Amino acid sequence: MNYKTIQLTMEKIIVIGLGNPILTDDGVGVKVAYDVEKALGANIPTNLTITEASVGGLRLMELLVGYDRVILIDALLTNNGHEPGTIHQMTLADLRHISPTQHSASAHDTSLVTALEAGIEIGLHLPTEFSIYAVGVTNILDFSEEPTPAVADAIPKVVAMVLEELQLLLQPI
Amino acid sequence: MKRITIDPITRLEGHGKIEIFLDEEGNVANAYLQIPELRGFEQFSVGRPAEEMPRITNRICGVCPEAHHMAGTKALDALFHVEPPSVTKKIREMFYEAFYCTDHAVHFYALGGPDFVLGPDSDPAKRNILGVIHAVGVDIGKQVIQHRKRNHEVIQWLGGRGIHPVAGLPGGWSVAVTEEVRKDIEQIARDNIAFGEFSLKLFDDVVLANKAYVDLIVSDTFTHQTYSMGMVDENNHTNFYDGKIRVVDPEGNEFAKYDAKDYADHIAERVEPWSYLKFPYLKNVGWNGFTDGMDSGVYTCTPLSRLNAADGLATPKAQEHYERMYETLGAEKVDGRYQPVHHRLATHWARLIEMLYAAERMLELATDPEITDPNVRAKITETPTEGVGCVEAPRGTLTHHYKTDENGILTKVNLVVGTTNNNAPIAMSIKKAAQGLITKGTEVTEGLLNTVEMAFRNYDPCMSCATHSLPGQMPLEVVIRDAEGTELSRGSQYTD
Repeated sequence: MNYKTIQLTMEKIIVIGLGNPILTDDGVGVKVAYDVEKALGANIPTNLTITEASVGGLRLMELLVGYDRVILIDALLTNNGHEPGTIHQMTLADLRHISPTQHSASAHDTSLVTALEAGIEIGLHLPTEFSIYAVGVTNILDFSEEPTPAVADAIPKVVAMVLEELQLLLQPI
Repeated sequence: MKRITIDPITRLEGHGKIEIFLDEEGNVANAYLQIPELRGFEQFSVGRPAEEMPRITNRICGVCPEAHHMAGTKALDALFHVEPPSVTKKIREMFYEAFYCTDHAVHFYALGGPDFVLGPDSDPAKRNILGVIHAVGVDIGKQVIQHRKRNHEVIQWLGGRGIHPVAGLPGGWSVAVTEEVRKDIEQIARDNIAFGEFSLKLFDDVVLANKAYVDLIVSDTFTHQTYSMGMVDENNHTNFYDGKIRVVDPEGNEFAKYDAKDYADHIAERVEPWSYLKFPYLKNVGWNGFTDGMDSGVYTCTPLSRLNAADGLATPKAQEHYERMYETLGAEKVDGRYQPVHHRLATHWARLIEMLYAAERMLELATDPEITDPNVRAKITETPTEGVGCVEAPRGTLTHHYKTDENGILTKVNLVVGTTNNNAPIAMSIKKAAQGLITKGTEVTEGLLNTVEMAFRNYDPCMSCATHSLPGQMPLEVVIRDAEGTELSRGSQYTD
């Protein structure tokens, strides 16, 4: 499918695929971001950035500085029996809700929610619109570039959902 | 036996946990740190061209991609038997100092600092960077973010990418430094020095001026007499990028000094039935259990141990603070060098001194007349065989070891990552803190468990090498079990 730029908004938008691309299912977000980029080809408008990163918390917040709207794609491992490959659509409020205890075990685990609050506190320009796609995963401990089948099947679906969201900027032709 | 579990879980279940086992009396019998193991890295790597490794290994870990990139790049130098030009080593080191400036800052301000700025007993909801900003002022928050931003820019300019750098090549670096970039880096280094001094002043005001904290730092609960490891230059000064690995014994005598490639002659790994972590120890001392002292092969590799292993720091301001730390903590000077400090919480202080050193060293490199030399690549003429590359990662010595066939295709890969060095001392610190703080009848409070966590947090452990996450945090879970192991209560933070 081809796209044309229509740019109904001048908002600065960033799409970030999060995850470790060499840890089986953990890289699902990264794969989605690459596929979105590929689908748009040369039609990426100047106010849209598509990228990937294996970071969270503070570093992720820093990546968001200067943008108005963000679409995050990440892996999610839950313990309540969701099937791998389930696509959870979440908002920042959901993230705040699931953001767990404030105990801190690692240097680098400031939650995104805390990091965003800190960023806002010190006056950084951060997105106000958050759209989060979290794909249920099963294997994040084995090194591999290939996701498990159910997660692989979810990738084109999430790509389509992200492209749908980008219709403010782009339309299929 | 009663069991208390401090259980960190991200969306990735079972990230790791601290388990504290109580005996029938209610005293601590044992405490363990458990971390799940990422599997199959060697299998994943074998069969790939070796020159991909600096870019692959920097994906292992979202916390220190720069360290893996650099250790991998240095392993390629050795593998291809090529000596990088002098300017290349300087560019790599300058890049690496920028990484140290960001990494050590985030530990102090976002992780270790909150325990002191807000106190170990403070509301856990506030014991984070946001709480620090509220306590010490928005301006400091701005400075922290500015500090990180400018150093991330250096990493991007020199590393080719902001997060997962790509510039390392066998015998080279893919980009030279222009005069324009050099000028910017020089200014950034100056700003880093100011920020480093500012952070040490903050440490003075918040931590050292508070007698309760100083008592905590020097308390036996947070003290372990182990061997200390760190990389040193030809003058036995700490170096993060290159040098020999030096080990001093608990009394400060040099025990070993070796080239990174000889690591296997000095380090062996202990396997325990209760953990799939490996516990490295000094082969030539031997394994004598999780114990302190001269007869125990347990060693530590942290900012504090790096300073212990060195005779000093190569830059003036950092050296001043180095001396002040040893004097303040009562270390005696023997044969011209300070005796090691073994108070684990002093690692936070050492980390800030290292950050200042990194800033000063960055300035030296940015003002080195050679730094803009455009000849950043050496020609490769040899057939690749085997190579070891080693740097000091912020959380411990990081070693990459590759073997290839004559076409440079990997046949064997071994990595000894920073935190792994500290597996044994971390286990010991947790146990000792738990024993010191939890005795029969003690009410196990949030603040008390946090103080136990402080025992391992000072090591800046990188618990997993898959770090990004939703919800983006490594929460802890507390499980209390009775003598039969039955769960009594559980504070759960699982995602619904």
